[in-house]
Amino acid sequence: MSGNSNPMEKFETAETQWKQNILDKRLKRFNLSKSPTRFYSPLANKNSDFLENVGFPGQYPFTAGSNPFDFWRAYAEDAAKMGYRPDWGGAGGVGKYGGFGTAEDYRDYLIRMHAMGRTGGPNMAFDLVTQCGYDSDSDYAEGEVGRVGVAIDSFRDFATIYEPYTGDLGIDKVPSNFTINAPAAIIIAMYAILADKRGIPLDKLRGTPQNDILKEFIARGTYIYPPEQSLRLFRDICVFCTRHMPKLNINSIGGYHIREAGATREQDLAFSMANAAAYIQAGIAGGLDVDSFAPKQTFNAFGGSMEIYQEIALQRAARRIYARMLKERFKAKNPRSMMIRQPITAHIGCVSTTLQRPLNNLTRAVVGGMAAGMSGGMPGVFPPYDEPLGLGHSQEAVQLQLDATRILIYEAKVADVNDPWAGSYFMESLTDDIEARATAEMEKIEKMGGAVAAIESGYMQKAVSKSAYEKQKQIERQEEFVVGVNCFNDDNEISVNVNREVEASYDPELLKSAEDRQQQKLKKLKRQRNSKAVSSALSALKAHAKDESVNLMVDICECVRNDVTLQEMCDVLREVFGEFQQSKL
Amino acid sequence: MDQKKMNMEKKIRVLVAKPGLDGHERGAHVVAYGLRDAGFEVIYTGLRQTTKQIVNTAIQEDVDVIGLSILSGAHLSLSQKVIEGLKTQDAEDIIVIVGGIIPEEDIPLLKAMGVCEVFTAGTPVSAISDFISASISSN
Repeated sequence: MSGNSNPMEKFETAETQWKQNILDKRLKRFNLSKSPTRFYSPLANKNSDFLENVGFPGQYPFTAGSNPFDFWRAYAEDAAKMGYRPDWGGAGGVGKYGGFGTAEDYRDYLIRMHAMGRTGGPNMAFDLVTQCGYDSDSDYAEGEVGRVGVAIDSFRDFATIYEPYTGDLGIDKVPSNFTINAPAAIIIAMYAILADKRGIPLDKLRGTPQNDILKEFIARGTYIYPPEQSLRLFRDICVFCTRHMPKLNINSIGGYHIREAGATREQDLAFSMANAAAYIQAGIAGGLDVDSFAPKQTFNAFGGSMEIYQEIALQRAARRIYARMLKERFKAKNPRSMMIRQPITAHIGCVSTTLQRPLNNLTRAVVGGMAAGMSGGMPGVFPPYDEPLGLGHSQEAVQLQLDATRILIYEAKVADVNDPWAGSYFMESLTDDIEARATAEMEKIEKMGGAVAAIESGYMQKAVSKSAYEKQKQIERQEEFVVGVNCFNDDNEISVNVNREVEASYDPELLKSAEDRQQQKLKKLKRQRNSKAVSSALSALKAHAKDESVNLMVDICECVRNDVTLQEMCDVLREVFGEFQQSKL
Repeated sequence: MDQKKMNMEKKIRVLVAKPGLDGHERGAHVVAYGLRDAGFEVIYTGLRQTTKQIVNTAIQEDVDVIGLSILSGAHLSLSQKVIEGLKTQDAEDIIVIVGGIIPEEDIPLLKAMGVCEVFTAGTPVSAISDFISASISSN
């Protein structure tokens, strides 16, 4: 025997002996050819360099976490003593996500919320009419105005929502979130014009527009123009924000939307990273230094399944892939450019919830909260258990969701350790595995020409819907089990029903009349505004849209200032850019 | 030979449709793939269809079934418009089924307006194809 033998040799010998003496006997006893469980020894990742692949939290490659601890963790004990409610926002954050009806309805709702204790800025959901670039009087608007968010037809609507946001709630003090994609340039321009009219310097504005148009082609579907032209608008926003609104985040990239649409874990990761790469490239093509804007690129969340180990590994792999991509491919130098900033880490995804025995969804969401707490995020329990029952969550479901997160933080103390799985033979091997498979898929997309080409050809969209169908077949063949859906659903089980009183803040009577009230305002706007200024602003937008080298933000700001409607701007761009047509299924 | 008998001999044609602006397509895609694999002729409308467009496509494509996928909460008014549109165009023989996020209390309302069946989350695609086969052969 040689003195400097392979240090893994003793594990290899031990593993062989274990297999022969213990595992094989057990398999024989149960007449199995393969073990239903796995065990990971040091052999699982024997070549791994901990510092290179994991490192400390807040250090490249950020596998162990983007920060040594999150900001919320610094205040967790105070929050418990003060009875802080996260839906009110605070600590520089936005309040609860929402929006409905006309701008006036949503403004009044926000005023009521602030009277109750909300301190954070608006966190806006827009109706589908706005998201798809139409006005409330369009044929497409019928029945949709103010339904899944607030209706914005012009700057006047936007300014109405901000009426309560003065003084301590001024837009130089509280941030805003805008869940808007295709018309993101218009909403950002409205925010800039609002500040300008109030005499607030643009560099004081904080907030996050979603502005992740590429995932809209793959999931969610609120695209307007073809991918290339959409990315040009992204470039214009990116350059404008970096130069004039440096505190505003540029976007919030969503992996989980793609996952909800059916993507596998690796597709979720690869597609959202390919999208992120396309945005970075667009900024660089716009003449920006990568470190001047990459720190303002944010992520919403990755993930969305009940598989707790894999979801933890996914978060770790995502942080590492992104860090390496920014450093190695895009030559970033600032570590902040390389770190994933996201409000949510792991979660189960709404798609994991079931209509059958819906209280089980609370149990499911707690598993997601555990995964989040063990992968560098707040152990957020999401969604409320009544998610699959219809639009809106009941007050009880929301309360239990909040409490479950609190129980994980304060009683189970899940968030007291950073990356508790670091160095686990199993978790490191799983993280490597997910990283390798996602990276292979990313390389495939790069070979196609990147995210834009992979969307134009329909590759990503087809891959996602095929994965969704594959998953459905697995459930129907009982290769995957969903409790109460394809197993444990016979007469021996009892149904557990829940009361469901949806939050009354969204008045159904107001919703009914929202369409009519928005249309009345539009008529008035078109009577009152300076029509010459409108047509000259629109012609400038059109002329410059044809010249790819021009940044359109200046023209869009000019349109906004002159009360041009959202659809009028989008229509002009539709004429020049065309509209995206999804390829056949 | 009458028209119905001829129809029996050809593949059952299904239009899977997404009315309104909602872009959540997973359910529509899965059902379209599943019905195609079950031997039906499936046409998928794609996103952002008005109810009028859906009725027209159904008639032009000579389908036997329209499957509406609705997750936006607007299922009552959208289904009503499709059914009325079919009536106006004398195409009431096309049966309408609905899938999506449909609260339980709305299911009887949909059936009262003429929707043949409502399939909510967790339904196997095989249940939908079985329902269609049974409904068309009994027509």
